[in-house]
Amino acid sequence: MAVNPARDLPRLAAVIGIGVFALLPMAKLPAFYDSFLYLVFFWISLSTSWTLLSGFAGYFSLGHAAFFGIGMYATAVLSAKFDVPFLLTLPVAAAIPALLAVGIGAVVFRLRRLRGELFALLTLAVTFVIATIVLNTPIDGGGGIVMSAVPLPAIMPTPTGSIYALGFVLCVGTLAIAWKVAHSRLGMGLFAIHDDEDVAEAKGVPTFRYKLSAFALSAGIAGAVGGVHAMYVGFLTVSGTFELTVPLYVVLMSVIGGSRSWFGPAIGAAFITTLLYAFISGGEAMIGRALVGVILIVAILWLPDGLVPALKKWLARRRPAIAKPAIVHVAPVVATARPLGERVLLQVRGAAKRFGGLQALAGVDLDVREGEILGLVGPNGSGKTTLINVISGFYPLSGGTITIDGAEIGHVPAHAIARRGVARTYQIPRPFVNMTVLDNVILAATFGGPPRRAADIRDEALHWIGFTGLAGKEDVLPAGLNLHERKFLELARALAAKPKLLLLDEVLSGLNPAEVDNAIRLVRAIRAQGATIVFVEHLMRAVIELSDRIAVLNEGKLFALGAPRDVMRDPRVVSIYLGKAYAA
Amino acid sequence: MDERMGAFRRRGVLAGMAGGAVVLAAPSILRAAPSGKPVKVGATLSLTGFLAQTAVVHKIASEMMVEEINGRNGLLGRPIEYVLLDDQSKPEAARSLYEKLITVDKVDLIQGPYATAPILAAMGVAQRYGKVMIQSSMGIPKLQTYDRAFPATPFGPEPNVTYPNVILDALATFPTPPKTMVVLTSKFPSAQFMAQGMKEQAEKRGVKVLLYLEYESGNRDFGAIAARVKEANPDFLWVGSLGLESNLLLESLRKLDYTPKNHFHLYPAPGPLALSPDGDRALCSTFVEPDEPFLSRPGFKHLADEFKVRAAKANLPYTSIDAQGCGMISEWQILEAGVNGAGSLDDEKIAAWLKKNRVTTVYGSMRFDGPFNHGDAAQLIKQVQNKDWKVVWPKEFAAPGVKLIAS
Repeated sequence: MAVNPARDLPRLAAVIGIGVFALLPMAKLPAFYDSFLYLVFFWISLSTSWTLLSGFAGYFSLGHAAFFGIGMYATAVLSAKFDVPFLLTLPVAAAIPALLAVGIGAVVFRLRRLRGELFALLTLAVTFVIATIVLNTPIDGGGGIVMSAVPLPAIMPTPTGSIYALGFVLCVGTLAIAWKVAHSRLGMGLFAIHDDEDVAEAKGVPTFRYKLSAFALSAGIAGAVGGVHAMYVGFLTVSGTFELTVPLYVVLMSVIGGSRSWFGPAIGAAFITTLLYAFISGGEAMIGRALVGVILIVAILWLPDGLVPALKKWLARRRPAIAKPAIVHVAPVVATARPLGERVLLQVRGAAKRFGGLQALAGVDLDVREGEILGLVGPNGSGKTTLINVISGFYPLSGGTITIDGAEIGHVPAHAIARRGVARTYQIPRPFVNMTVLDNVILAATFGGPPRRAADIRDEALHWIGFTGLAGKEDVLPAGLNLHERKFLELARALAAKPKLLLLDEVLSGLNPAEVDNAIRLVRAIRAQGATIVFVEHLMRAVIELSDRIAVLNEGKLFALGAPRDVMRDPRVVSIYLGKAYAA
Repeated sequence: MDERMGAFRRRGVLAGMAGGAVVLAAPSILRAAPSGKPVKVGATLSLTGFLAQTAVVHKIASEMMVEEINGRNGLLGRPIEYVLLDDQSKPEAARSLYEKLITVDKVDLIQGPYATAPILAAMGVAQRYGKVMIQSSMGIPKLQTYDRAFPATPFGPEPNVTYPNVILDALATFPTPPKTMVVLTSKFPSAQFMAQGMKEQAEKRGVKVLLYLEYESGNRDFGAIAARVKEANPDFLWVGSLGLESNLLLESLRKLDYTPKNHFHLYPAPGPLALSPDGDRALCSTFVEPDEPFLSRPGFKHLADEFKVRAAKANLPYTSIDAQGCGMISEWQILEAGVNGAGSLDDEKIAAWLKKNRVTTVYGSMRFDGPFNHGDAAQLIKQVQNKDWKVVWPKEFAAPGVKLIAS
């Protein structure tokens, strides 16, 4: 196997680093270094565990002290009050916060309104609740718990060496978990949730389950870290354990290092812990703290994405430009168009959707045949986008049924609908803003399409990028695309999922005439590959040119349905929507 | 055996007192200036973080004492080099920094940090390296299980038993001794420890505890607690308070038009409580005050005056020396006596000397041969009279012309 420096050097450095740090207690350095490095490991583990949910998925938590504190108290109570051997307490210290996180997440993650700052405040409130319970029950009761009588297993020759070893193992374990998550489907899904959770769900990411998994992992690691730290601190009090500085430091370390990077929090934690210990002399304590504050402010202002992403960008700039390999264009998966069939792919019966007192859909009946292009038109507020939203699972139905290939999907989560072959685009493009064009399409192919090897998914993603005219833009972030390109990125993502049914929501709006022509050709090409298409559009030229049939919605009901020219001449349609007969 | 030990103790007491008196009273001109390689004494204080307001008092007292001792003969004729680090009010930092002091900075001796949690964190390190650690602020003596850890404040081994009885003795002298009381306490370990002791001892002596309430440390809203106190209307209110909690509680009681009949506060902020309109006749714990008869103790007046000057220079709001400052002075006095008495910087010898001898401190003569290396309890009661704290009990320590006043 050939040596690949870009791949093998970091691995070699990691192996050497782990080996050196693992053997450090044997070097008989002054115990302070064991102790200091333990604290570095402690903060690395804690901040990295925080970033699994908050950095990767963007669910900003201020409640890490709760999970960490539960771990501390689980170990303290079991070992000091019930004489459970210290090491045996650590799995419990991890399990209790993980279960609590699952319990909280099972409620909170179902509610769309509890995102952003509300989630942060809620997790902060959890900390106060847990602290109050611990303080006012025999768990602590206010007197604190002394750990000095708990025997520390002699893993290393000295007690500080043993604590160091435990901290090191947790740190390496946490980083390994973070690496694994960041490079897995789970990580990809969490990054998508971070950028746009609703779109991630629509692309097939099981957002609820992924958030729950990340939350449990994050809390479990924090609990285990707390268990070891209880032994290090030796005397636990509620005020010292559940203090606000824990989440604040954790957030700061992650942000400074780069919270979307699996390794960023580790760099931030090492940097800040070292900085805090650089100014410990009695004469400079206050000046030192102020200086630390200034350094952190400057770092945040100059490196808003964190040290690791900034370093990556810097290295990328320094790397000599290499000729890009030719874009791989694989053959379309379905190469030939299927004739328009009679089989009904999508069946909508009595579909109703209410928002409080507003009846957005009032009993829509509609069949869409396999291979058909159905144009969905109607005045503003007629329910077109709502129908797209209930078909794609963004909203659950208030009444009626929707089936795909005979399977009911009216109350199925959006990600499950996506996996049944329904893909959609958005009127205003909603790409994952922190992912490149290629990663956007890979994500859609990974979660929306059938299971495939990563290499095959990548090849297909490159194919659809070329198919939609975005070749050469693979490594560009969505912010670097114009509107036309962003619309086509929407199409590439939808196509990468190999949908049976493609829902296009005003994909032509905002395009100039040449771009519209290009888009019409593209939609035809998509249909030629066998997809069934329902598209919402106001541009009548496109509707007439593309549609096999047109459905007109009005006031949440199906108003007219038929061949394009027949519907467009229908006086009732002219009256409510067009204002003049179109294509007469 | 007991008699022999008694004689031995008496000799130790006399030797210690004589030595201390000579050292403190002798004119500096007669002493040799310390010379040679400095003796490094390391310590941490919470110079930043939530304990920083108190640590600044300790820092002033420490620096003052280092100058004092160096102005005499230092330690064994060598000057002290004080290595002070900031533990940021965190026990984990205290632990790692004591490891730094001992294993990297190679200090000869250590002094304890402030507050129970950092003390316990540092004590584990001291124990691993066999260092003598003198501390002044661990209010739960039974937690001091390390053989070479010594208290610089005379709590006694069971302050939860002894001190409540001092208070009850004082109250018993009132024309109408209290028959009922309410115990309120912050859920702060040392305050809660004392509150539970107060409740038990009061009940043993026939005082009915109408209400025992715990509140979270740092609580700011005492409205509901005040209402329950008013409803109970006890003869005596005991509050295990810290800092400004006492002021806030008394203010809440005033808003309910209720003035407690007699009230005691454990660890309040001394200045604000004395100056508060609600603080008149408040009782409080103390060990020494800058007043007679304490000012007659060797060197204390000089130290109290010097502290006042330094505290004013540091812009402290309350410049009189209090229990915190005195605790740190006592730490240094014990260390100085231990090193010079043992004639060595060897921790084992210093610890052995301290266990056998008394040391004269700002708190009077202290011994360290009891449980948890504690000696006699020496808690006193002070009272706010005319916006000033005055020791009122036991009578022999009361300031001249001052008496305990019942409400």
